[in-house]
Amino acid sequence: MATGNYGTIRPADVSIDDVEIYYSYTPNRESITNVELFPLDPAEVLIPANNPDNVTEIFGGLYTLKLPTSVFGTKGFYNIIIRPKQIRTTIQDCSVLVDNQDVKGIVFDINQIPIDLQNRFENGNLVGYRVEYLKEQLGTGQDKIQNLFRIITSNNRSLPITQNQGNSNASVAYTFNDNSTSVFCTVSPSSAPAIKPNAIPFIGNPQQNVIITNTFFDPVMLEIEMVEFDDETLAYALFSNQTKSLEDGIYTIYNFGNQIYRQYNLYEVKDQFTGKPLFEVREQKFTIDPTKDFDEITDF
Amino acid sequence: MKYIRKKINLENFTIRTIPKSVLIKNSEGKTVIDENNPKYYYGRIPEYKIDNEGNFLLNSFGQKIRNTINIDLYLTHKFDDMGIFSDNPYTPKTDTLTTKPQGFNSFTYGRLAGAPVNFYYTSPNSVSGYTDDGLLQQVKSYRKDVNGDDVYVPNLNTSDNTSNVFSGVLSEDNEKTIYKIGANINDINNSGINYTTFKNKFTKTKDEYGFDRSYKTTIFSVDNSGWNETNVSLSASTKKEEYLGVVFKPEVDSAVFINRGIADIFERHALLSEIKTTNDIDTNRGGFIRI
Repeated sequence: MATGNYGTIRPADVSIDDVEIYYSYTPNRESITNVELFPLDPAEVLIPANNPDNVTEIFGGLYTLKLPTSVFGTKGFYNIIIRPKQIRTTIQDCSVLVDNQDVKGIVFDINQIPIDLQNRFENGNLVGYRVEYLKEQLGTGQDKIQNLFRIITSNNRSLPITQNQGNSNASVAYTFNDNSTSVFCTVSPSSAPAIKPNAIPFIGNPQQNVIITNTFFDPVMLEIEMVEFDDETLAYALFSNQTKSLEDGIYTIYNFGNQIYRQYNLYEVKDQFTGKPLFEVREQKFTIDPTKDFDEITDF
Repeated sequence: MKYIRKKINLENFTIRTIPKSVLIKNSEGKTVIDENNPKYYYGRIPEYKIDNEGNFLLNSFGQKIRNTINIDLYLTHKFDDMGIFSDNPYTPKTDTLTTKPQGFNSFTYGRLAGAPVNFYYTSPNSVSGYTDDGLLQQVKSYRKDVNGDDVYVPNLNTSDNTSNVFSGVLSEDNEKTIYKIGANINDINNSGINYTTFKNKFTKTKDEYGFDRSYKTTIFSVDNSGWNETNVSLSASTKKEEYLGVVFKPEVDSAVFINRGIADIFERHALLSEIKTTNDIDTNRGGFIRI
């Protein structure tokens, strides 16, 4: 007996068409509202790297996430979830193969699948996809049957054949036929364990809604904290150029490119009757004075 | 699910340039910023990339370039252990083949429908070569002759398991010593490894450190029964769902391993990562793990 094959971790070369991305935003960690997720178009924000030796070949593993500043330009916490694309459809039938009555499977109607996703349902393309089930009575609380999934082990276009079972009974079984629009999928697990031959695992019911998901890569969640300061900006205050205008008391801090980073008004608060100085104040100035350009000031 | 945390400073994307074109004189004759000028972006992060003058940068198609915060990711695809194979009986294809296809090699051809099991049999063969005389010491008797040399006694079994295994000298003359290592006690001639060490022939070589080394020339040979009805059968190799994820790791029987010691903080964690089944606790590193 062979001992089996072993797992591995490989760089994902998933197509952007098989990815979906969601994000949420919260200004701080104390937010009491529920997490609200918004979709992002993977075609716009996720760019795969190409192999430098062959620019028409995906490098594998390395992708660049290009987050639009119009959405991600606010201080706070963004959670980004990158996960395999989900396809929602309905089980057309649960049946067996005509020639192998012990092979059970679920049947989908290709015509119910969005046109741009129908090629996933061609023969063999669904192998490895995960099937998750929704409750047959929706809207009764949690719609999804939690912690239940099956893996598709084969899929083929199949034609329904009505079989006479005697006593005026008939049942439908399927036979492979590439001209059919029905797809017969075997799933795992679907056979009873040897220790309990009648305990056949649940694989779904006709007309039950399901979620079909590819397993081309492991989902990723990024928590991105957008901040206004880091070591670099703090270093501006310590080490970068500064000016103090003696005429109007404007104190300017420049970044390392000599661009105006912050401006402050410096002034004293005095007792209105005695003229005695009470406070020295440094107050941030939000209307920038452009005449404090460092290069112009020091150009003499 | 992989979880990645990043901290990004928005200042890196904030515009700090003030184009000359947005500067105007106010009623007092002082230079101020026209904050309504569309090219004024100071302190803001624009939706599209701009140059120092506040003009939009355009791509080769003349389109504005979206301003983005770029993060490189490494996506992986984890392929889990799929479980052990099980041998199942099968119904062979009828019209059994009677002759092997030309060039048939069971190792490269794999399964051939209609091929009977004897297609996979191979003839007995023998492997021989040269080696050193290190094993001669294992078959010597405890006696020495008048010159102080070891005495080799034919048919004296020197193995540790004399009831099942024969290791000893078969014959000896002035020219050579012929002996067996690891033979079946009931079939000495057809099992074990046969050695012939010549008394007056020497082989010179260099050891791994480059020093000259010399030993008595020795020839070994071993007969192999090949593949036959005792070690080959045909069955359908299947995976049972109840064994999904049940695998045996490759077991390495190593006599030597390096204990990196508790000085390495990762050592204990690294050890535990090698343990996946209770059986591993007993076998890992020759029983090194103790509970």
